[in-house]
Amino acid sequence: EDPWDVKQYHEVKKGETLWKISEKYYGDGSLYKKIFEANRDILKNPDLIKVGQKLHIP
Amino acid sequence: MNRKIIGMMILALLAAVALTACGGKDKGPAELAIKAAEEAVSAAKTEAGKIIPDQIAALESALASAKDKLAKGNFQEALAEAQSLVGKAKDVVEAAKAKKDELSQTWTNLSQGIPRMVAAVESRMDILSQAKSLPGNLTAEALEDTKAGLAAAKADWAKAQESFNAGNLHEAVSVANSVKEKAVKAMETLGLPVPAGAKS
Repeated sequence: EDPWDVKQYHEVKKGETLWKISEKYYGDGSLYKKIFEANRDILKNPDLIKVGQKLHIP
Repeated sequence: MNRKIIGMMILALLAAVALTACGGKDKGPAELAIKAAEEAVSAAKTEAGKIIPDQIAALESALASAKDKLAKGNFQEALAEAQSLVGKAKDVVEAAKAKKDELSQTWTNLSQGIPRMVAAVESRMDILSQAKSLPGNLTAEALEDTKAGLAAAKADWAKAQESFNAGNLHEAVSVANSVKEKAVKAMETLGLPVPAGAKS
């Protein structure tokens, strides 16, 4: 349906935190808020992410 | 003997008159056919000049050849060439219509995708510009190159839109395709997924 979907997603693995994910994509864990803000629809707290969640990485 | 020579001279004279008469007979139709061909080529150029310029150039070259034959008195050849040109011009107009449809579809597709690709690259560049360090697979030099590539892509995209608004669909699609390539390169450098629409 959407051949121009440009969004990048990350599936949360066991033991991962937003900080770690931010480090992976941005090289800087302190930018985890960017990911949190982009996923407010599924994340209520940046410390509570669940294995298997697919997070949009802006 | 003299009578025989005079007889041959009269025959030669009659043949020359006959040939001239034949040529004269073809000149009018040849001129008319050239005029019709000129009009057909001119109409095709208006319709298709910006879409399939190479085919229009071929028509113009053939028209020049027919005119040259007319000028040299090869009326029958000029007539035949001019008559075939009218049909060829019609074919070119048809081909241009098909090409225009194809280009319009390509433009619509690219104009949906390119802004989204550029926005994704800009968003990631904006975040990376705030990072204290870069991810392992990205060097500062590559990031600078990507920044320059993004600026060039945005400038080219503006040019493509100008071409489209000016009715130059061929140019617009050509530039848009180069923008797409720049955007793909930037996305790959930044580790962003390239959308399926950009791979075709």
